Order: sequence, then C-alpha cells, then structure tokens
Amino acid sequence: MNLNKVLTSLFIGVLSASVFGQEMFVQKDSVLIQDLDEVIVTATRTVRQLSSVPLPVTLISKKQLQKTGVIRLNEILNEQTGIITVADESGFSGVQIQGIASDYVLILMNGVPLVGRSAGNFDLSRLTVGNIKQIEVVKGPSSSLYGSEALGGVINIITEKPDDENIHGNASYRFASFNTHDVNINFDQKLGKFGYSLFANTLHSDGYDLRPEVIGQTVSPFQNYTFSGQLIYDFFDTLKLYASGRFYQQNQEADLLVNDQFFEGNSDINEGNLHLRLDHALGSKWQLQYEFYYTNYKASEFLENPISKDLLSQSDFDQNLLRPEVRATYSLKPKHNLTVGVGYNYENLDRTFFDEKVTFDSQYAYAQYDFYPSKKLNLILGARFDNHSEYQSQLSPKVAINYKLSDAISFKGSIGYGFKAPDFRQLYFDFTNSAVGYTVLGYNVAVEKIQELEELGQIERLLFEVGALANPLEAESSIGYNLGAAITEGKVKFNINLFRNDFKNLIDTRAIARKTNGQNVFSYTNFDEIYTTGLELDAKFKLSDNIHLSGGYQLLYAKDKQKKVALERGEIFARDPNSLQTVALDDSDYFGLVNRSRHTANFKIFYEVPQWDFNANLRINYRSKYGLFDSNGNSIIDDFDTSFVNGFALSNITLNKTFADNYSLQLGANNLFDYKDAENIPGLAGIQLFTKINIQF
Amino acid sequence: MKMTSKVLILLFLAIAFISCNDDDNDPILVAVESETANDIPAPQTGGQGQPVGGNFTKFSFATGAVTTSDTDWDIAFRGTTIAVNGGTVTGTDDEPERNGNAGAFVASGTFESIKDAAGITFTQDTDGSFAIPTGSDNGWYNYNPQVNIVTAIPGKILVIKTHDGKYAKMEVLSYYKGAPAQPDGFVDESRFYTFNYVYNPNDGQTVLE
Repeated sequence: MNLNKVLTSLFIGVLSASVFGQEMFVQKDSVLIQDLDEVIVTATRTVRQLSSVPLPVTLISKKQLQKTGVIRLNEILNEQTGIITVADESGFSGVQIQGIASDYVLILMNGVPLVGRSAGNFDLSRLTVGNIKQIEVVKGPSSSLYGSEALGGVINIITEKPDDENIHGNASYRFASFNTHDVNINFDQKLGKFGYSLFANTLHSDGYDLRPEVIGQTVSPFQNYTFSGQLIYDFFDTLKLYASGRFYQQNQEADLLVNDQFFEGNSDINEGNLHLRLDHALGSKWQLQYEFYYTNYKASEFLENPISKDLLSQSDFDQNLLRPEVRATYSLKPKHNLTVGVGYNYENLDRTFFDEKVTFDSQYAYAQYDFYPSKKLNLILGARFDNHSEYQSQLSPKVAINYKLSDAISFKGSIGYGFKAPDFRQLYFDFTNSAVGYTVLGYNVAVEKIQELEELGQIERLLFEVGALANPLEAESSIGYNLGAAITEGKVKFNINLFRNDFKNLIDTRAIARKTNGQNVFSYTNFDEIYTTGLELDAKFKLSDNIHLSGGYQLLYAKDKQKKVALERGEIFARDPNSLQTVALDDSDYFGLVNRSRHTANFKIFYEVPQWDFNANLRINYRSKYGLFDSNGNSIIDDFDTSFVNGFALSNITLNKTFADNYSLQLGANNLFDYKDAENIPGLAGIQLFTKINIQF
Repeated sequence: MKMTSKVLILLFLAIAFISCNDDDNDPILVAVESETANDIPAPQTGGQGQPVGGNFTKFSFATGAVTTSDTDWDIAFRGTTIAVNGGTVTGTDDEPERNGNAGAFVASGTFESIKDAAGITFTQDTDGSFAIPTGSDNGWYNYNPQVNIVTAIPGKILVIKTHDGKYAKMEVLSYYKGAPAQPDGFVDESRFYTFNYVYNPNDGQTVLE
C-alpha cells in the first residue's frame, strides 16, 4: 500500500517537527477544567447545566470531534467510557451502553428519533459527524420522557444552528487508507429574523479484505451521501420557527458465497427526515413547542448469479414514522420547571417476510417536575404514559436527585423505568430458511401460520398450547438504578457511577412446533430476565495548561437470572475437554452474556502547542475478553467455552496544525498498531492512516 | 467409573457370600458393565433438504458391539438419529423393524448422577417420531450452523431399556471419528458415535452404577 507509506512518512515528519520545534512558551490563565457553559438538553428536555444534572451523562463536544478527526458517530462513541460498538449474532453492529445492547438504546437527532434497524441494531456509522455541534448520551432508562427503546440510554445528536450575520462554514477533504474519501461542505448564516444552514457530506471507500483467500471482501466498496438543511425564522421574539430536512443515501456492493457458487448484487439505504417545530413563549412563564416529525427509512438488497443474472434473493424494508408532539414548560420560579407533553406516534413497516404492511399506533403523555426543595438539593420527578395498539400500555416513572455537598462534591442518584415495545419483526415475521429448513414466525401471526403449515402436512407435533398465545406479547422492560458522585478539585475532575439494570420480559425465540423435516418452528416469547451491573469511573486531569489527560473504566457483570438459578440447582452442564464427560457447572464457571467484556477502559492525552497552532492527541481504548457464542451447547458462556475473543486495545493518534487561522491540516492513524482478528471481529480493519485539510470561513 | 465398578464387584461378591450362607434360590448376579463404545459409524444418505436414507447401524448392549441381527439389537444409529428396538417404525426410509421391547428416556445430569432406572417412564418409537427426539436441541445434540458442528448436549444422559427388558444408560461423547476434543466441522469426519455406557445385565435390576 503506497498510500500508507506516504502518509507514514508525512506523519513522522510532522511529529518530529512538533518535538524539535519548541521555542517560546506562553503562560495562559488557568481555566477550570469544567467549562461552565457546557449545557445539555436531553436529560430533562430543558436546557440544563451539565454539572448539575442528576443523571449519568456523557457529553462529546465539537472540539473533541474536530481534534480527533473522526468521521462517523460510532468512532467517537467507541472512545467514551462504558460505550462500545459490538456486532451481535446477526452480524450487524450497534452500540452497547452499561452492557445493554443496541436494541435498547434510543437514537435521537435534535430530540426526534431515528428509525431503521437491522435485527435490532442501529448502525451508527450511518451518521456523519460533519455538522454535529455536540453529542449527548444519557445513560440508564429515560422512558419517562422518550417512551419506547430508551432503556439503556439515549444518544441525542445536536446539529449546528445558524447564530450570526456572517456566513460561517467550512469545507474539508479527508483522504484515508482503503481509498477512502470524505468530503464535507457546511455553511450557515442568520440575517435578522431569518437563518439557514446547509450541509453536504459524501463518503466513498473501497472497503477492505481481511481474508484475501476467501472470495469476496470483508467490507465491500460503498459510497454514501448526506444532505441536510435547516431554516429558522423568528416571527416575533416569542414565536420562532425551526425547520430541518435531512436525506441520506448509501449504496454498497454485496456478495455471497453459497455452496461454492458466487452471487453478487447491491445493497441500498435511503433515509429521509423532516422536522418542524414552533417555539412559542407565552408570557414569561410558559414555553411551548409544537413539533411535527416524519421519517422514512428504506433498505433493499438483491443478489444474483453474475453470469446468468438469475436472482438469488431480493429483500426490501420500508419503515415510516410520523410524530406530532406538543410540549410545554411552565416556570413556577427560576429553576423550578414543570414540563408536560402529549404526542401521537404513527408507524408502519412493509418488508420482505411480512404478509402485508403493518401499522402501529400509539398516544402518549408525560410530565416532569424539576425543582430545588432546598438550595443544595435538586429533584426531578417524571412519568410518561404510553398507550399502544399492539401491546399493553406502559407507565414509566422516574426519580432523580442531585445533592450538592460543596462546590467540589455532589452526589447523584436516579431510579427509572424503561421499556421497549415488541418490534414489527417479533410480531409479524414469517421466514423459512431454505437451506436448513427451520421457520421463524412473529408472535401475532404464529397461530395462523402454524395452521397453514399443518394443512400442508409439515408439522409433526406442536410443542405448546395454542391458548398460551392468546395474550399479547408484553413489552420488554427494565428498572435502572444509578448512584454516583462527582468531585472537582483544582485540576482534577472525577466521576464515579454505580449502575444496575434489571430487565424482565426480554423477548427471545423458542421452538413452538416440530416440523416433519426434523427442524423446528420458532416464535418469539417473553421469558428472559437479565441484569447488568457494574461501575463507571471517569477522571480528567489537567497536567498543565497544554496537557490534558483523561481516563475511564467500566466494570461490568451481565448475566441471565434464570441461568444463575439453574446453575445453583446444578442443572447446567459442560463437557470436560479431556474426558469428554459431562460435568455440572456452578455460578463461578458462568462468564455472563455474549459480547460483554468484564473490563473496558480508555486513556487519552491531549497536547496543545498554542504558539504553533498545533495540537496532538493519543487515545487508547481497551476491552477485555468476551464470549461470542455458546460453543458447548449448554446455552451459557462458561469457562469451558472455546468462543472467547481475546481482550485488545486500539490506539488512535491525531495531529492538527492550523495555518493562517482558517486553514488546518490533520494527520492521523486509527488502530495505530494494526490490531486485527479476522475470524472474530470482521468489523475491525487494520491500521487506517488519514490526512485532512479543512478551510474555515 | 472403573473404581465404582470394582466397588460394585466387591459388593456383589460380598452379597454372593452372604447369599451362600442363607439358603435361598436367588440367581447369581452378574457385574454391571461400564464401557466405552468408540467410533460406532452411523452413515446416512441424503440430508440438507434431500430425503434421508441408508441403513441404521444396530448396537447391542449385551455384546457391547455393532450387530447385524434383526432381533438382538437395542439401539441403532443413522446420522444424528437414534432409533430404539421397541414400538413401531417411524416411517423414514430404510429403518429396521421393531421387534423388541426397548425404550428410551432423555435424563438430565452428569453420567454418575443417574444411578437407577427405577421409576422412569420409557418412550418407544412410534409412527412419525423417535423415542429420542430428533433435531438440534430437542434430544441429545445441538447443531451450530456457524461452525457446522454437532455437539452432544452436556448433561443429556440417555437411559435405555433394552429390547429384552434390561437397563442401560449412555452418554454420547462425540459425533466425530476419533472423538477429537475440538472437532473442526469442515475437516473432521462426522457420524461416528463415541459413548460411555453402563449396562446392567441382570433381569429386573434397575441399578446403573
């Protein structure tokens, strides 16, 4: 790879220039490590100062996005304490927070949800960071404000808004390994009452191949485009319009090897979002927001024989969400805010393996009271009620407390309820694997489909009572507990948070009938009860004005409660690898749920040389070993399993140099030490070198 | 296991001596047999959506070996399917006639923990279904399509009533030739059973240790 060599030498050049070129040293005023202007909106739906929020929050600033040179959302989230991207059994990737899978993490953009998941996973690499102002991650359940899916956490992406009369913007071009090109153009302006912003991004890559001996690439070539525009218009000081539209398109080559036959095709994603909002101030006490949101997500893939053009498979997915919502915040007195909201969700999905387009309807209302019973004590009480067409209605309460012991120390604690509605697939799927012969049926169509199969003579016997499917599938739910403390002392800022999430009614598949071909018919049911518990530590240390260090650590235990009971009773077994005989296991042999690392940690160093307009940073992210699947047939990951992925650390380095205030050059390497595990982690490319030029105007 | 057998033999001898002192007519007990059967081949034709066929490999606990006898067999193997010589034919191609009184029960536990067959209700093969359920995770094995491996589910002990009403227990250890500890689903030759078994040759005796 010639490009890599060129970039490496450039890289070393800049690095040595930075080390040997040190001359003068300018003493700057020391600033508190906690920026006082850091505010977030996700935790309460009102603007809140970060340090006073009684919930575990991770805030990622634009500055961090720029300095690290990341281009997609998953890259920067991976560098935050307790947040990792994992691929599940389906092969799709999503984010894991506090040990909770992507299915249970809500993704918002400017407060409204993004849809379009693959087997429950939201692919965060779909989202460019080019126009992001900040990313807010609230950990733990937030269903009291956001309803379904907000069990493990909420990730809210806040985009840049126009703020003054001058045209601001930037244009950048980034070139990286694997022939990857990323281009951003962005500008915004506010002219009196009217403001606008426009943004375009394109990303092209040749992909990569970790196993050249196998036909087809590990990641096939792709190209995608993101366009977005925002308009603001202030009718009066008290009535302001916000309108935004976004369009995303991706096209990727697809291939598949079946029984030594090679198929190729295309995989497309089209996504659109339209978000309208009126902000209305009524007197000095009422703030109203009238919001309308529509989004559509389409994915399609086909595979065909490259010579005969015979179609092997074609799958389509078309999801719509329409959501009007009205919110009001009433200020009883400063810092005492009552927020109420009502809304309506209309959702439908048409896809391959569904008989027909299916529709969900739900109505909801929520209320939250955020107040200070005493000067040092902040209390947030909230609850939301969701009424849904397909499952039992849900009431999601939440309590959060912040107690400020002193300027340096505050304690925070919260308890909340979270739920996730059964998704379309769990209710309406009708899929038969043509190679192996098993069938998967959605809960709501299972009885009818089983009868159809029986009439075709394909059912040997039923394994369940038909009457057991009379009650609707219940929503998956959790209760999350978080208890933490924040300590700010001089140059050190330290955060600790203990968490526990108790899940029940998790939806999983079980065999409901045996087919005459010896295979099973599976359907979904509520049965799993799991917990994730552990602790998160975050420390920031200002070594000098120009050197900032930070470190983070998460300890995690994620286990299935019923499996623990079965282990106590001696009902779970493994095979001794030497004698091949069965041995009974106990809890000490139980590693936990798949894809969960006991330890994750990160370490970052940011180094600034203001006199040369230069800065550099090194970020190291570690995760300890984890189990990929049950390899010994006892349905748990235990010490006898052979499917463990070794722990590993990834290092990323970025160098930035600004010229003449407005021009900047960036050089860097992701996965600096070229760590690869082709067999277990196909999503992990080797070292990727990059360089970027950016013009600010 | 060997230990247990020796203890049992001593026990039997002791009982035998005591029996000698008494003047009764109990038949002399034969020692319980604890053995391993290695690489019993279980070929089949078809599969992967095609009709399954081929002769079953019949096995007798009394002889501890594969047999071609049409009557003196207890269990029979073809692919992952295990038939018992009791009940009726299931309807699959090329299966042997059932003329004995065998039955099976899938118990949970370690091999040692199954000490007695008393009280067990045995199932026989019937039209359309085997006493030992077929299919992944239904009976004795699990199939992982990702790595193409058939694994004997740990903790699944097959308790067998033989064709002539005696009792045995067996634990399948491996489905691959040579019983490798870590079989490779794409390399190692499958359809070879290695299993531990305990057979009580005494009429009416249910003890399995």
